[in-house]
Amino acid sequence: MRYTITHRTLYQYSSGVALCHNEARLLPKETPWQLCRPSQIRIRPRPALSDERLDFFGNRVLYFAIQDVHYRLEVTVVTEVRVLDERPFHESSPSPSWEQARQMLWENPDPEIIEARLFALDSPFVATGPAFRDYAEPSFPPGRPLLAAVADLNQRIYSDFKYDPHFTTVATPLDEVLQERRGVCQDFAHLGIACLRGLGLAARYVSGYLETLPPPGQSRLIGADASHAWLAVYVPGVGWAEFDPTNDCMPNTQHVTLAWGRDYGDVAPLTGVMTGGGSHSLKVSVDVAPQAEAAVKKFKPATNEIQPAPEP
Amino acid sequence: MIEAAVAFPDSPQSPHDPLFSDYPVATAGYDEMYSAPGVLRPHWRDMARFLENTGGVELERRYSEIQRLLQADGVTYNTYDDPHDSQRRWLLDPVPLLMTGEDWTELAAGLEQRSRLLNTLLADLYGPRLAIRRGWLPPELVYAHPSFLPACHQSLPANDRWLIFHGVDLARGSDGVFRVYGDRVQSPSGAGYTLENRIILARALPMLYRDAPLRRLASFLETERATLTRLARHRPENPHVVLLTPGPSNPVYFEHAYLANYLSLSLVEGEDLVVRDGRVWLKTLGGLRPVDVILRRVLDAFCDPLELRGDSLLGVPGLLQAVRSGHVALANALGAGLVENPGLAAFLPLLCRQLLGEDLKLSSLPTWWCGHSGDRDYVLTHLDELVVRSILPSSPYWEGGQLTAAARVQLNERIQAAPHLFVAQAPALLSTAPVLEDGRLTPRPVMLRGFSVAEDQGYRVMPGGLARVSSGLDTLQAALQKGGISKDWWVLAPTPQRHVSLLRQAYGPIVVTRDGSDLPSRVADDLFWLGRYVERLDGNARLLREALGRLLEWEQDNTDERCLDDLLDALDIPVPPVAESPRARFFALRQELLNLVIAAEHPGSVKAIFGGLLRTGRAVRNHLGDDSWRLLNRLQQRIQEPPQEIGARQARELLEEELMLVAAFSSLNNETMPHHQGWLFFDVGRYLERVLRTLDLFKLAFITARNPGLPLWEVVLTITDNLTAYRRRYRSALHPTAIIDLLLFDEGNPRAVGYQLRRLQRHIGRLQQPSGSPYRSVEERLILESLTTLQLADIAALATLSHDSTRSSAELTRLLDALQTPLMGLSDALTHSHFSHAEVPQQLITMRP
Repeated sequence: MRYTITHRTLYQYSSGVALCHNEARLLPKETPWQLCRPSQIRIRPRPALSDERLDFFGNRVLYFAIQDVHYRLEVTVVTEVRVLDERPFHESSPSPSWEQARQMLWENPDPEIIEARLFALDSPFVATGPAFRDYAEPSFPPGRPLLAAVADLNQRIYSDFKYDPHFTTVATPLDEVLQERRGVCQDFAHLGIACLRGLGLAARYVSGYLETLPPPGQSRLIGADASHAWLAVYVPGVGWAEFDPTNDCMPNTQHVTLAWGRDYGDVAPLTGVMTGGGSHSLKVSVDVAPQAEAAVKKFKPATNEIQPAPEP
Repeated sequence: MIEAAVAFPDSPQSPHDPLFSDYPVATAGYDEMYSAPGVLRPHWRDMARFLENTGGVELERRYSEIQRLLQADGVTYNTYDDPHDSQRRWLLDPVPLLMTGEDWTELAAGLEQRSRLLNTLLADLYGPRLAIRRGWLPPELVYAHPSFLPACHQSLPANDRWLIFHGVDLARGSDGVFRVYGDRVQSPSGAGYTLENRIILARALPMLYRDAPLRRLASFLETERATLTRLARHRPENPHVVLLTPGPSNPVYFEHAYLANYLSLSLVEGEDLVVRDGRVWLKTLGGLRPVDVILRRVLDAFCDPLELRGDSLLGVPGLLQAVRSGHVALANALGAGLVENPGLAAFLPLLCRQLLGEDLKLSSLPTWWCGHSGDRDYVLTHLDELVVRSILPSSPYWEGGQLTAAARVQLNERIQAAPHLFVAQAPALLSTAPVLEDGRLTPRPVMLRGFSVAEDQGYRVMPGGLARVSSGLDTLQAALQKGGISKDWWVLAPTPQRHVSLLRQAYGPIVVTRDGSDLPSRVADDLFWLGRYVERLDGNARLLREALGRLLEWEQDNTDERCLDDLLDALDIPVPPVAESPRARFFALRQELLNLVIAAEHPGSVKAIFGGLLRTGRAVRNHLGDDSWRLLNRLQQRIQEPPQEIGARQARELLEEELMLVAAFSSLNNETMPHHQGWLFFDVGRYLERVLRTLDLFKLAFITARNPGLPLWEVVLTITDNLTAYRRRYRSALHPTAIIDLLLFDEGNPRAVGYQLRRLQRHIGRLQQPSGSPYRSVEERLILESLTTLQLADIAALATLSHDSTRSSAELTRLLDALQTPLMGLSDALTHSHFSHAEVPQQLITMRP
């Protein structure tokens, strides 16, 4: 599938911001199953300087600083991506039993497997504990293949938890999510990760977008999409299998990957520190627009261009 | 060198003075001074002779002298948890710890290797991570530790050093072997205290130190300075190096100020710095000044609220990005705290072979990492002999042998729940060294902190370091918070070495560093407030002294005490309700007044005001003279440690003394601080506070008084210390018009509003204007408005004040208000023009896991 993704963030401040430093993780990752065209990045006011780098997890990070007094900050990133049906795992993929997978993770000296152990440890937003392990247990009877077990857990989170955008914030503790059985995609991803890590498995957080289909007979609403999040579990020696507990599915061509990390804290789309600003308001709009496959041209490796600003 | 009256035989033998009666030691341990009972180690012979000649009584006297010198220099180790008197004294034993050159050479080689090893390990863990990928180091040990900061990954160019300054805690075991207990790299404090210890001992024991055969420290500090300069890759000729401190409330702030002064660095806090155009700048009165190198004493995670801890107010947003772009160098690099992880000790022998191709020369304390099942089993079955620690920073430790059965089960569960977060160590008995206690030398266990600094090739190790009395279980910080004793650590040289003058040069009576337009805005702000607090303290102490005096007179002679109520108003404390008897009223008033002298609850109390004075004073430590600083220390002692059971009379005497010290402090600053920008802010602060107080006093005495009249007028003259001046000038009974002339209009009387406004006008006119505009600044206009009002006032209209004329009184009210209003705006205007750095950065989104 081919999409044009438009992610627009607008901050408005009650008093002037004299200086701000920001980091955006809004540039989609290149993966074997996802090709990206150079993004068009529009930042207003224009940053005094900006710099792209790859972070520890291989995500693309754009640093930028605005050094003149401003009352609003607008960041729009438009990227064309092509998602291929080539993710390493599908619903029917074979996998070792979850105990074997765990044993391999902790005992195999392969450098890649050793490195994956990072994702089996607690991280700032995901501290595991007996409650998560207990919740996960019914999905993990002895000898069950890893992917089947995780798919079951994924399905249970989907049916046990209520999607409720008014219940949680970025700062809602995971214990509360588990107890109240409600939250949003970010909470469900964190919850799944906590369950898997509690069993000694490696799991990571994936941020991205999801193509939403309009109800039959209606046309797509532009800009009504949202950022999305799901998780991936490590199958030692093979790779990462993705699961979306919010939609009870394994991501395929409708899921566009932005970045991944230990948890949300590693991949927050836009962070910043500013001097001044008073109170502020935030508007985010995301549009995932499918493009006709016929129009697919040759994709070049991703590098971006920051557009020159037209003079007002 | 030291001439002995009683010659010692050449063979090492124990001296017989009572000083040595706790020696010889009978235990099987290792003593630094004695190799066996009665057998003195040869390198202690001269020292033992000196100690014996000096004798226990004289040594105790010198010990007191040492503590006095330390206190006078303000050597402190303060803690966060004690808000009022938050400074701990630094204690220093008069007997140095001696180490032979041979022992030191071997130890130094081990320390040098350790610094190289940890630097290589940092470059690997924030780069290719071979140590993890090849299985030399378990990933859990690194990744589960909060000191591992993914944001620091590849943040330094390939060949840059991660580790510049390295502090190592070590000790000699009872088997005579040195072992490392821990590494300090984020804020490797102690080098400044080491230097100060050496200087103080040399002052207190000049005979011992003058020509002693010991390695001197000065050249090590020279290397530190040279290394910092070399880090400035882009501007090697004249780099701007700053020392970044968390601020005056940090326990080792004394050392930050001390080192900054010694190494000629600007002492800055996070809010003094800003990142713009990818560079780091210091905000000064004259604008932004580029910073090339930062010697930082702020923990890794707090250095950059953009990429590290978002809730930190100690750091500089964008700092890590500035590091990546190569425009600024940090010593140590951000992320270096990774090697403070105590679990690494178990893996260093292997890492040393793999990363350096060498065998580890200096071992750590035997360490088991519970993340390995074999090690864990060993730990759980040998708990009695081990000390268990969590690898997380500032975590407790458990002495296995001391645990109750229940505690042991609990610890076992904790370890099983997260084994990779625990290590166990086998602590050895530490070697002992003589420490002076009650006139005798007592063997006490000692720990050492050694220091190394990067140089061109490898690392240079300080010949000596900080020694302290410790059992080896606590950290330096914990020990000092409990009031530990430090010792000077000597490394003996084959020949006597002169006490190098470099120390004197740097330590001599240099008073003010950097002043003028490159003064950091925050420092200007603090100096301004220091001035205001000084004057506020002076004013309230005078009011209190007067009130206590009236109270005592009332008690003695039953004289008129009515103006006491007005004095209470001036002090902003409520007048006690009418009491049953004069006696009860006396005690109620007395208690109110005493509280202002010895308690800190009321914001107008001497203690509370002094708290502000001390805070701002410490924040500008390097801009005050040493003598000013000594005065401040003495004042602190008087104010914060008043005598128990104080009465009105003693309180009055105490205030008297405090007033003298405050006056000495202000005038010493006038005499020693160059009259440039820094001093101008101090002086403007003082006179703004004074003029506001004087106007308040006028309002009180002539307009709002509950009991107007002669006694109160007299109080006004006494408080301003102008009673004699009045008598000399007017030789008459008190008359309000004359008082007003003396204290309002006189432009030659420092206690008069006229003089104060003139002085403010002159000094505000000299302040550096950031805008460079040719027009008068807001603050210049405000002071001009006030001064002109005074000069144009119609004195004749005030002439009938004594006749209770409503017209005159209204005229005076109008005049005082017209003088006061612009002055009230002055403080804000100054803040806006000169100190507007103070805005706290905020996060775009709040993310708190």
